[in-house]
Amino acid sequence: MITRWLSGRLARSLDDRLRVAPVLRRALAKVFPDHWSFMFGEIALYSFVVLVLTGVFLTLFFEPSTADTVYSGAYAPLDGSRTSAAYASTVRLSFDVRAGLLMRQTHHWSALLFVGAIVLHLLRVFFTGAYRRPREINWLIGVTMLALALFNGFTGYSIPDDLLSGTGLRILYSVTQSIPLVGEWLVFLAAGGEFPTAELVPRMFVSHVLLVPAVLAALIAAHLGILLRQKHSQFPGPGRTENNVVGSRFWPSYTVRTLALFAWVLAVAFALGGLAQINPVWIYGPFDPAQAISPAQPDWYVAWGDGALRLFPAVEFRVFGRLVPSPFLPGVVFGGLTFAGLYLWPFLERRRRRRRDRLAHQLLDPPRAHPARIGFGVGVLALFAVLLAAAADDILARILRLPVLHVLSILRVLALALPVSAGVVAYLVARALRAGGGRGIGELTRSDVRSAMRFGSRAGGVSTGVGDPSPVATAEPAAGSHDAARIELWRDPDGLWRWRYRDAVVVLAASQAYRSRPEAERAAATAYGDLPAREVAPSGGRTGEPAAMRERAGRIAGRAGGYLALAAVALWRGRRARRRPPP
Amino acid sequence: MVTATRADSARRLAVFLAVLGLAAGPVPRPGYAAPVPDPGDAAPAPSSASQPSPAGPPSPTAPGDGPGPPAAPAPDPVASRGADLYLRTCASCHGPAGEGSQRGPSLVGVGPASVDFQLSTGRMPVDQETRQPPHRRPAFSAADIRALVAYVDSLGGGGPQIPTVGPGDLREGRELFLANCAACHSATGGGATLTNGLVAPSLDRSTPVQVAEAIRVGPGLMPAFPENVLGPEQVDAVAGYVQHLRGGRLDRGGASLGRLGPITEGLVAWGIGLALLVGVVRWLGGRAGR
Repeated sequence: MITRWLSGRLARSLDDRLRVAPVLRRALAKVFPDHWSFMFGEIALYSFVVLVLTGVFLTLFFEPSTADTVYSGAYAPLDGSRTSAAYASTVRLSFDVRAGLLMRQTHHWSALLFVGAIVLHLLRVFFTGAYRRPREINWLIGVTMLALALFNGFTGYSIPDDLLSGTGLRILYSVTQSIPLVGEWLVFLAAGGEFPTAELVPRMFVSHVLLVPAVLAALIAAHLGILLRQKHSQFPGPGRTENNVVGSRFWPSYTVRTLALFAWVLAVAFALGGLAQINPVWIYGPFDPAQAISPAQPDWYVAWGDGALRLFPAVEFRVFGRLVPSPFLPGVVFGGLTFAGLYLWPFLERRRRRRRDRLAHQLLDPPRAHPARIGFGVGVLALFAVLLAAAADDILARILRLPVLHVLSILRVLALALPVSAGVVAYLVARALRAGGGRGIGELTRSDVRSAMRFGSRAGGVSTGVGDPSPVATAEPAAGSHDAARIELWRDPDGLWRWRYRDAVVVLAASQAYRSRPEAERAAATAYGDLPAREVAPSGGRTGEPAAMRERAGRIAGRAGGYLALAAVALWRGRRARRRPPP
Repeated sequence: MVTATRADSARRLAVFLAVLGLAAGPVPRPGYAAPVPDPGDAAPAPSSASQPSPAGPPSPTAPGDGPGPPAAPAPDPVASRGADLYLRTCASCHGPAGEGSQRGPSLVGVGPASVDFQLSTGRMPVDQETRQPPHRRPAFSAADIRALVAYVDSLGGGGPQIPTVGPGDLREGRELFLANCAACHSATGGGATLTNGLVAPSLDRSTPVQVAEAIRVGPGLMPAFPENVLGPEQVDAVAGYVQHLRGGRLDRGGASLGRLGPITEGLVAWGIGLALLVGVVRWLGGRAGR
């Protein structure tokens, strides 16, 4: 009761001064699609939050310097050793700072989760065609954030100055060096001299904790701002058109859901950080250019680059008398092509279509609707899976008890064969699914696949154009009963007009209220076009569901607040008890 | 409805088990924590007495009176036992006088350290002629191994003696290990791949004496480190650090994940972390319609 009165007063006084109510009301009524695949981006967002929180803790204890220091602390095998300040402070914050190791490990685990969630989000956007007009800008921002995440992951992995990451740094240095003409200049510009340099760790640190996170935060803001402005895309379904979004409101239902996800991300990141060891730099030892470590791989999100370096034959050639060293093709060209392909994909695909697709798309493609896109995507994924395996070729060789060169040869064959075969299989499965309607992969029969392999009317299997009937849309009532779809308007006791869409399958209430009936009708017409609209009696308050949800959210918030207060009191009493001298 | 709750509880159980599994940490393999290979053995070779082994109470039997068949009464029971064992288990490959054959190298002058290393790590006798016999339980008792070492030594002297290992300096051991051993055995002591299908074995079952013997002898592809390269104190330090690496003592961060590095960490991040979060997201999304 008291909290409600207090928050009401606070909200009123803020609104008096800033007039936030209209903006906030619109923002809180924003509709989020309910499909689970739309939450991958949020996993990445919350991992980023965990990264910032734990990262701030780490900066309090980490010393970004390669200056010679003597470690003295709880880790006995290093006690009294001369190492760089960066390495010594990393071991110190792991062993001598309370909760330091938990924070460091959670930071590293959430970095892996962060990039993984970005990749999942990218795959969802790719396979459903969510990058199409008008969302190309957000695709470009997203790919940029992926690149920045990879770069920041690599610098974060490298700044402890341990033997394992030093090996990786040396590789990146050499790959950059292999760029013809400018490579030598570039590495000297970045590293300030011949590897290893004293400038490298401080520079990577500044980029890791300041520059890239700031750019990432700005891009996340832009990504979300554009999302708000453009509204969400959605899968096709009953009641869903190019002009509406069907889902849950931000407040209260989606707020509860997204906060639950935040809590889960925190829980998973900290559980991994507390229970599973990651990057034990105290075992790896400090970096020394004269020493080596084996097996050595980078974190998974850059391991595809390492895998490409291992798989690609050592080809060196001369252009205009200048040597192009062997890391250039697999390191620089392949990585460049990967990101160039990602950046250009929306525009390449638009061009590829026979009818140039310049329409705006708010409804997503069900993945199966575009077999060519699925085939290409799965093929590329298979290639990257082989490259990831190649980064661990020595570990694979040990597990398989094969000479490492044999493993390398097998992986080379796989790198060529697997993408093609996986792509073809995915293409055929998608075709069979598309032809078979809304059934799942498990229900495909041999005859479905056989008919998918017959290329008749659709020459070459070039994917369908814009106006394709999507399979999910068949769930809509048949054309005959389509007149069942209608708009219902009513006036609530508070004097505001509301409307809902109703057909044989669903009832969808509008998220906003309107001052007059024409306004409500206009909104309904924007969403559904010319459907018959009729006035109905107000149906027991605001459609019941949001009100109940709001009440439940309020209850949950109240209970959480109570628990927090209890915990605070308990903590405070505990501290007082500890401070009191023993009798 | 019933099926839904059952699926829910199954999911909850899976999550719980995953967390439990992580919390339990590395599962100790048999022989992982206890360096004395055979509980029936006599005390480990006398040279290791100064480095007490953490497990396995020394057997009360006197040296030379192992649990094997009692030695026949002879002028020198140890020597005849050694000769007997040698002829029965070694001579078929290494030749009756240790001169070697097409199936095995000569043992003349290899030295007691080499013989003790190969026998106490269970690499000899090989049961099948693989390219690289693995570290196993030794086939002989400690007394029999001593008898065999003495007998092979009598076939031709020379070679490194079984080193005596004392307590070493941990810091020096870490530095020497990283400089000399980590390139092949991995900084974690977990071993790594060498050329041509050979591996540098994991050190997680090696006793201090075995480590010191390997350093002096250089078995397989490993280079030997004679006294003028690594002094006795330095060998003590390395052997001590390898003992420190063994087991889960240094896995202060939780489950070691095999100490294989970022590849297993990536697998865990995808297989447990992201799989869990995708499950959560599906669950949250599935509840939305209700």
